[in-house]
Amino acid sequence: MTDFGDMHGFIPLQGGLWSYLDELGQSFLITLELYIVGLVIGFALGLTFAIMRQFGGRFLSKIAVGYIEIIRGTPLITQVLIIYAIPVFINAAGIANLQLDWYLYYIDSQGRIAITLNWSILASMLGLGINSAAYQAEYMRGAFASITTGQLQAATSIGMTRMQSIRHVVLPQGLRRAIPAWSNEAAYLPKYTVVAIWVGVMEFLNMAKTVVAQTFLSVEVYLIVAFCFFALITFVSRLLDYVHKKTKIPGV
Amino acid sequence: MSIVLDVRDVWKAYGDLQVLKGVTFDVGETEVKVVFGPSGSGKSTLLRCINMLDPPDKGEVFLRGQSLMAKDANLNMLRARIGMVFQQFNLFSHLKALDNVTIGPMKVLGVEKEEAIERAHIAIDQVHMTEWIEHYPAQLSGGQQQRIGIARALAMDPDVILFDEPTSALDPELIGEVLQVMLDIAKAGTTMIVVTHEMGFARAVASEMYFMDKGVIVEKGTPKHFFTNPEHERVRQFLLRLEVLYGGHDQE
Repeated sequence: MTDFGDMHGFIPLQGGLWSYLDELGQSFLITLELYIVGLVIGFALGLTFAIMRQFGGRFLSKIAVGYIEIIRGTPLITQVLIIYAIPVFINAAGIANLQLDWYLYYIDSQGRIAITLNWSILASMLGLGINSAAYQAEYMRGAFASITTGQLQAATSIGMTRMQSIRHVVLPQGLRRAIPAWSNEAAYLPKYTVVAIWVGVMEFLNMAKTVVAQTFLSVEVYLIVAFCFFALITFVSRLLDYVHKKTKIPGV
Repeated sequence: MSIVLDVRDVWKAYGDLQVLKGVTFDVGETEVKVVFGPSGSGKSTLLRCINMLDPPDKGEVFLRGQSLMAKDANLNMLRARIGMVFQQFNLFSHLKALDNVTIGPMKVLGVEKEEAIERAHIAIDQVHMTEWIEHYPAQLSGGQQQRIGIARALAMDPDVILFDEPTSALDPELIGEVLQVMLDIAKAGTTMIVVTHEMGFARAVASEMYFMDKGVIVEKGTPKHFFTNPEHERVRQFLLRLEVLYGGHDQE
């Protein structure tokens, strides 16, 4: 029978919380997964929309603007929920019969199944990526727009195609310039991954909730959660600072 | 002498403002044409119409007999044969001087890297910038940047080079080094169209001079004609004002 007597005192991290280290570690990996895949999807999509908006004709840039406005105007959580629910809707409407109970896993050190990918996780990654793309697109477009039209005219006048100008003149400079603003997104996204709780992903915060429910050590556990996010975000920020310094164009 | 550039009845308006009102002239092999006149006369617009940075509303431009307006014209390849040197230099700021000069031949003309570097060295030697090839544009003075701009145009081995007020943005001390380079390449037989008010340059190498005012070529003639006995009063006044302003610094 658990002794609730010293709940108000300081409870050291042995015995109690240590036994949950495995689960917390696994769930933190899931959070990392959500973060990294979401960021990468966001980058690829965001870059595409930024180029469409800045250099596409009237038609392409309107599509890009529409996307960015809709995504930024709706909550991340509704986007994730909708994406998650689409195949459910497709099944219910009889359009197709999609399998939703699949999962990828590995066997952990204690012989238990550790899920690395299922539909909930995938839907969350897609939602985070599609959402992040809209914000990343704007950061990058701002940087692209700051490159003087003079250089673009010079590129055109030596015979470069539009695509060549983008690839050889705009992107090398624009992506560098976008780093400070972009690192905002890289720093925020880990915190947003918690929305995955809503579609049943056992990510870090969700696991923490479970541990608290079992150990009643709410302050300690949530402090650990906060600290882990802090460590991750600080690491990412420092890394981006370093990249920004290393890629600086001399004299600029 | 073969005609390199044939400009026929070019008209260009920006909104309600008619900037070019039917400009016609041609440029033969190794000729140097100097276009001068008050600001707002359409001189820069004319150059930008020639290489289709701003396509004209009416009229046609022929490069060695090929129309730049033709629907099936390979505009990028035609542009690659028309060099341009800009008032604001417009170097690619993320590339070293050498790379600024090699990128055109490599990416547009498909020249192999070693050969492109060869070409670049030759062009950069011509503009006397050999010790600065590893520097970035931001580390160079205006005159140095402009000389690299000229090298960039030379490396493409174009049929004609357009100069849009190449020394107007330079400190007086730096104008001389750029004009000297332009004199050298003019004497070496480069076909050039130069928009400038550096009358010393015109006097030294211009085959023909055009005075433009309010969108039309008011008078055509040799330097001798203009400096001894211009026809129109307007031209006379303009030249007089230049003499007053620049008389002291005139280069040979």
